[in-house]
Amino acid sequence: MRGFEPIAWIFQALTGIAMVFLITAHFLTTHANHEMLSYENAVSRLGSFEYKVFYFFLLLFVTFHAFNGLRAIILDTDGGMRRKKVVNAVISVIALVAFFYGAFLLSRF
Amino acid sequence: MGILSWFKYRSPFGIAFMLQRITGVVLLLYLCLHLVYLTSLQSKELYESLTSLTVSKQFFVFDSLLILCGIFHGLNGLRIVVHELGFAHEKRKPILAVLVVLTILGWVLGSYILYTALGD
Amino acid sequence: MRLLIRRFDEKSYWQSFEVPVKRGMTVLDALFYVRENLDPTLAFRASCRMGICGSCAVKINGKPRLACETQISKFKKEIKVEPIDNFKVIRDLVTEFEGFFAKHKKVKPYLIAEADYENPVEWLQTPKELSRYYVFSLCIKCGACASVCPASATLNGYLGPAALVSAYRFNEDSRDNGKEERLKIVSDSVGVWRCHSAMECSEVCPKQIEPAKAIQLLRRSLLR
Repeated sequence: MRGFEPIAWIFQALTGIAMVFLITAHFLTTHANHEMLSYENAVSRLGSFEYKVFYFFLLLFVTFHAFNGLRAIILDTDGGMRRKKVVNAVISVIALVAFFYGAFLLSRF
Repeated sequence: MGILSWFKYRSPFGIAFMLQRITGVVLLLYLCLHLVYLTSLQSKELYESLTSLTVSKQFFVFDSLLILCGIFHGLNGLRIVVHELGFAHEKRKPILAVLVVLTILGWVLGSYILYTALGD
Repeated sequence: MRLLIRRFDEKSYWQSFEVPVKRGMTVLDALFYVRENLDPTLAFRASCRMGICGSCAVKINGKPRLACETQISKFKKEIKVEPIDNFKVIRDLVTEFEGFFAKHKKVKPYLIAEADYENPVEWLQTPKELSRYYVFSLCIKCGACASVCPASATLNGYLGPAALVSAYRFNEDSRDNGKEERLKIVSDSVGVWRCHSAMECSEVCPKQIEPAKAIQLLRRSLLR
């Protein structure tokens, strides 16, 4: 393995595959029947250990995949590649903020 | 021409690439919005006022488009994973055709599930 | 047949020519007809006239093709000829290839192996070993792949499909010992990671090499 790029590439693929299933499950949980979206149901769902684990991994995968994808788009340009370190740093910070904010919301239940 | 040149290609694969980028950015923006939206779970009143606005038939068009973006991005992503691991390059045309059919089927099914759940 | 040529001399403009069509005539023949009979200032690049040298790649009706291998009879109304994209135009249909060749050189496109010149021996290779890279050795460096690659369009430094094909071709050669050196070069952030499988290169390659596949196989060997 050579540096971050191959790891980013393989994780982009793995998280992508995982999310096809996780997001389908998330969609069916919340939208097959909209009673699941009532405040009480949403809070009790987020309070259960199983859903917490499920959402934690979904959050982890989705933030990595989304921001790594954005990074790939920006690095495809001359301007982005010239400032590669800045792009990597800024995107990592935004991704971490999004992840920790999501994790914080999850921890409130 | 800059980044606009990402959107000028004509082969079906170039179009799939372009749509993967566009739907990817749409889904990224949605992720950010979704995280902000979930902040409302801190307060019952706020959450209920927001859901009564967004979980509605007026919003169905946006939801349905979001389903389309998600399904296309997911299925096309699976196709790219297969090709990026070095497989099935020679069969890329039929694979793309199957992907288009599955995307449409998934979109219709997803939208139907959502629409039925919205009730009257 | 009407031949519309995108010309460039300080500024870019379209010029139309009427060319008589003969059986078996190629777009390159039409360009030669224009230069010899209608406008001697028309500049284009061509050499072998048989799809081997890779000089005459131009955009014909929106798609990069070798002018020498494109029959005029393929088109009904008119033929639009333009220089290929993602390359700087020098004049008319002639584009700057220096950067393209520099990238090719960068991946060390030659056998790296110890040879005993005092007691030379043949380097044997089985047909099976040859078949691992043969198709990728057919690249004629025409630049069609790089002209449609979205990453090459926005990132000057990106090695591009042709150079990466060369890297894979030599890495898969049983006589070569330079695999590690090349993998180091192609695993740079302007190397294989910039390919996002738009497959445009494989779609336009006049030799049907499937550059996109070579890039992915290269990427796969980087995971080991």
